[in-house]
Amino acid sequence: MIDTLKNSFARLRRSSFFAGFVLFIIALILNAALQGPASFFSIKSINTLFAKNAAFILVAIGQSLLLIAGTMDVSCGIQLALVNVVTIMTHQVWGIPFGLSCLLGIGAAVLASIAVWVCCSVFRLPALLASYAMTYVIRGVNVMIMSVPQGKVPREWYMAYDSQLFGLIPVSFFAVLGVLLICRFARKTPFGSHIYAVGGNPRNAFAAGISPVKVQLKAFLLKGVIVGIAGLCLTLMIAAGNPLQAEDYGIRSLSACILGGLGFGGWGSVASAVFGSGFFVLIQNSVYYFFSLLVRMIPGFSVSSYWQNFVSDVIIFLGLLMTIVTAKGRQEVLREGIVRQFKRIDYRKKPEGLDGKEAASHE
Amino acid sequence: MNSTQSTLTLGQRSKLFMQNSPARMAFIIAIILYAVTVMISPGSFNASAIGSIVMLTLLLSIASAGQTIVLIGGGMDFGVGAVMSSAAILTTTIMNSQDGRFFPLLFAALSMGATVGLLNGICTVKIGLPPLIVTMAISNVITRMQYVLTQGSPMGYASPSFIKSVTSKLFGLQFLPSIILYGLIIIPLVFYLLNHSRFGKQVYLLGNNPVAARLNGVNINRVQILTYVFSGMFAAFAGMLGAAYMNAARCQIFDEYAYNSLIAVIIGGTSFSGGVGTYTGSIAGSLVMVVLSNLLTAMGLAQPTRNVFMGLIMIVLLILYNREKKVRQ
Repeated sequence: MIDTLKNSFARLRRSSFFAGFVLFIIALILNAALQGPASFFSIKSINTLFAKNAAFILVAIGQSLLLIAGTMDVSCGIQLALVNVVTIMTHQVWGIPFGLSCLLGIGAAVLASIAVWVCCSVFRLPALLASYAMTYVIRGVNVMIMSVPQGKVPREWYMAYDSQLFGLIPVSFFAVLGVLLICRFARKTPFGSHIYAVGGNPRNAFAAGISPVKVQLKAFLLKGVIVGIAGLCLTLMIAAGNPLQAEDYGIRSLSACILGGLGFGGWGSVASAVFGSGFFVLIQNSVYYFFSLLVRMIPGFSVSSYWQNFVSDVIIFLGLLMTIVTAKGRQEVLREGIVRQFKRIDYRKKPEGLDGKEAASHE
Repeated sequence: MNSTQSTLTLGQRSKLFMQNSPARMAFIIAIILYAVTVMISPGSFNASAIGSIVMLTLLLSIASAGQTIVLIGGGMDFGVGAVMSSAAILTTTIMNSQDGRFFPLLFAALSMGATVGLLNGICTVKIGLPPLIVTMAISNVITRMQYVLTQGSPMGYASPSFIKSVTSKLFGLQFLPSIILYGLIIIPLVFYLLNHSRFGKQVYLLGNNPVAARLNGVNINRVQILTYVFSGMFAAFAGMLGAAYMNAARCQIFDEYAYNSLIAVIIGGTSFSGGVGTYTGSIAGSLVMVVLSNLLTAMGLAQPTRNVFMGLIMIVLLILYNREKKVRQ
């Protein structure tokens, strides 16, 4: 019994998401301590936590798939707003049932993903920059569709999203669970191992008969669907339309994945994304309770929303800083991946790691 | 068949020209764009319109000076916009419409820029994540700080003499705004830094091949961090001038300069991969950006269409200059 425990602990320690897992547990304890365990573990508080952050967790999961496949997409934050805008506007202007609008919203996210895929995989542009440029394009499209924040969601829809199944499990939890099951299933298919091959080394994958472009297309399609679901979660949560929201989800999801233990390409698992995003969510929640604790303890102390935004951005930054610790073991993998994201470098591995660049720049 | 082949070679030739002398190419593009603008709205061809083009081009050139250095060194600075906005807010707050506070302001703004640059540099080098992500995270923090410190609405105005030193017309000529005098200090300084100083040579070497640079005894971390420090300082100075041009400041006033300076620098032929690029190109690229924005205004395009346009331009630029090699060769 103790041996099996020991073994499973050793397996956990070796896994790629161990650092993210530890951070997640720390954040959980911190949050529970600040909020009071009884209040934190109540059904209501967990429901709110899930309902508010399901979108972010889902985006991080989608992002992790892309990172494993050796590419990325910083525009998926603004894609959430695209889903939001399309869903609300098709329902409002065309008068179609809300369920159908939701499907159209998911379709919009898939289309946006395909556009990013065309830039990154077909045109072979550096993913980070190309998807950042796509942020501008999608932002423009959003405002064209909906010029000012407006619209609303049918009451029964957002009430349903906010409720708990069997009075216990929040509905938003099922969205996350469903997506995780899809990922789990995809991992078992050939596609599940192909994305690791392509992310690790596209050239070798190609030589082994796997088409990197096709595999990345599948990854982008899956990510499009996930972002679509995330966008619906966001829409149901705020129950209104806003063309310019959630833009920072893109970069936040990226840092959550990296924090959770994902590298660039062929490394890590979806669990890293879950733990990394969970860490972010819990820390942000803790900050809120920390501030309200301060307000209660120090009379005359008040916090503006500016302060909360400031602290949450500082946390994102500190999270990135923390990757120095979590990523230490994988520095080499990371660095190679980074070089690939940025520079026209030969994919063949060289002993020095960076000197393939010279060959590329002398062509 | 024959004709398609000749157009192909023409296309190849023009591509070669673009890749070999992007600065000249950018100047030609700017002239063409301006000609189109004048054709669309003939009223825009006058001395004061040209004056405002000169003004904005110089502002963007100064902002993109640091970006050029950072890109040549193989990094990327997304903090330019946030630093400019912060410097603009510092300008209006410190000056508060009173003369004689230029030098304290200069000191405060430059040290702010240098601090942010140092932070950018150290974090980029030490974390080892893509500089885009790191500098973006830092610039978000700085932007939030603007709101926290000013409660969302910065006070004050730039001092009258400072405004005059930026916006008055030289010799009474409408197309010569006096920001040119500042340009005459900054532009030679950048040229000296990049082309004639030891630091500049090290930056090129670092961008071209970090391993070789390190083996040649260059302290690559220090040089890389210094590029970010310079970027922060140039951005801060541009922010001061921008505040004088705009008279008052608000939070995030110059944030778009982060993206614009990046595009301007790339139009000018500086590559993302580092080691290649000139400041002349960046100035030409800035001119293209300003003229293009004038053209979009003349065509009556609204903000969303402009956003789409800017994104597509970036993608086209990436396709022209920065494609990765095929997997299959």
